[in-house]
Amino acid sequence: MIRRHPLISVLILLLLVLLGWIWHERVNLQAFPDIIAAYTAKEYCSCRYVEGNPGEYCLGYVKQYVPTSAFADDPEKRLVTASGLGRTHSAQWLGERQGCRLTP
Amino acid sequence: MPPEFLSMVKGLFCVALLLFTVTARAENWPTKDWPGGQALSGPAVKALEDYAFPTRDDVTRKGIRTDALLVIRDGQVIYERYAAPTTATTPHLTWSVSKSIMATVLGVAFSDYRFKLKDPVARFYPPMKQHPTVTMADLLHWASGLDWQEDYEYAPLKSSVVAMLYTRGRGDMAEFAADTGTFSGPGQAFRYSSGDTNLLSAALKGMLGHKAYVDYPWTALFKPLGIRNATWETDADETFVASSYAYLTARDLARIGLLMQRDGRWGERQLLPKEWVDFNRQPFDKYRAGQDEAVPGGHWWLNREVQGATRPWPDAPVDTFAALGHWGQALYVMPAEQLVIVRYGDDRDGSYRHNELLKRVVAAVAQQVQP
Repeated sequence: MIRRHPLISVLILLLLVLLGWIWHERVNLQAFPDIIAAYTAKEYCSCRYVEGNPGEYCLGYVKQYVPTSAFADDPEKRLVTASGLGRTHSAQWLGERQGCRLTP
Repeated sequence: MPPEFLSMVKGLFCVALLLFTVTARAENWPTKDWPGGQALSGPAVKALEDYAFPTRDDVTRKGIRTDALLVIRDGQVIYERYAAPTTATTPHLTWSVSKSIMATVLGVAFSDYRFKLKDPVARFYPPMKQHPTVTMADLLHWASGLDWQEDYEYAPLKSSVVAMLYTRGRGDMAEFAADTGTFSGPGQAFRYSSGDTNLLSAALKGMLGHKAYVDYPWTALFKPLGIRNATWETDADETFVASSYAYLTARDLARIGLLMQRDGRWGERQLLPKEWVDFNRQPFDKYRAGQDEAVPGGHWWLNREVQGATRPWPDAPVDTFAALGHWGQALYVMPAEQLVIVRYGDDRDGSYRHNELLKRVVAAVAQQVQP
């Protein structure tokens, strides 16, 4: 097999290594797509409602190289929601001392 | 006892009291606001501003982007400048400066005999029974031996910090840290870790109980110092995110700097024992030169020579120590020069240099002090 199909053998080996790595990092990989939405919601909420900066500034402040697909800031509830990489997260302002926290 | 002797003792006591009052009055302390001193001026200030406040590029976000720069000398404001939208009343995110603020809060608990440095953390925080020999001192030295990965942006997949703040760890950050494996024995090796700091935060909760804990940073530290606008965010378990999420105005953070500059004393009250501040400022003996950008003490960063390597900030005095945070947040203290410097920023690349800023502040102050 290896002698007759050297290329396929190498590809199969690479695939096995990749699958092994995915299995090894399964916990991290599963959580990875959540980062951008959670980061954006939490840090925008704190920038806007803890630091008291203008919304437009805070949008620039939280911008990362991974894009977000949806964003909503409800100033009445002080609730910020962001989506990216197929996941959505919200952060809620709780009070003067507690600031913002990601909702469960 | 002869009455003359008694009155002599009384007289001496009065003289001593008078001397004490006079010395106490000679010191400047902020009350509701900071007193102003003679403002820095001249070409050295221009050199400082050229470095700290270049034209700001909000599109590429490259270069040095200072949000606030405040210089206090001998308890008086001698320089203060902000870049929009940050102002004197903005409680700015301090990121990892929060770690040294937690250390200062812990100093008050230490003075109340709530814990000793050699106490195992598991005594106050049961999930640390997985690592029964890790002590409070080990956590304060960032030497728990836990296999923590501190990288932020460059390795987000493996980053323990990102997972703790935003994904798997965010419900209970201390528990997330306690569940980490080990790479070394406790107290044997330095590895900078936000997990270690949040374990300290959870240990403090265990010492005080939930109810007293949620007010403790305010009752123990902020109120005595006159800090009125502080926010400290918590995780879902209501444990302070001591690694990252304290927010203070530059003027309020400088109050903590002044407390540290004066060896833990605030006015006539010794808020932190001298012994505690000495521990903060003592280099961790297992730290190897070059492991980090400055030398770790007890949850503060020191400008000290270790193993013959030059000190981290050669142009700043050797007694300089600092609280440092992500994206350029810094509180620098120079006790001999009686200087406290707060620098807030939004540096997205690594171009900002502590040494360069400190060099220019020291030069501007030196120019001022000369007649």
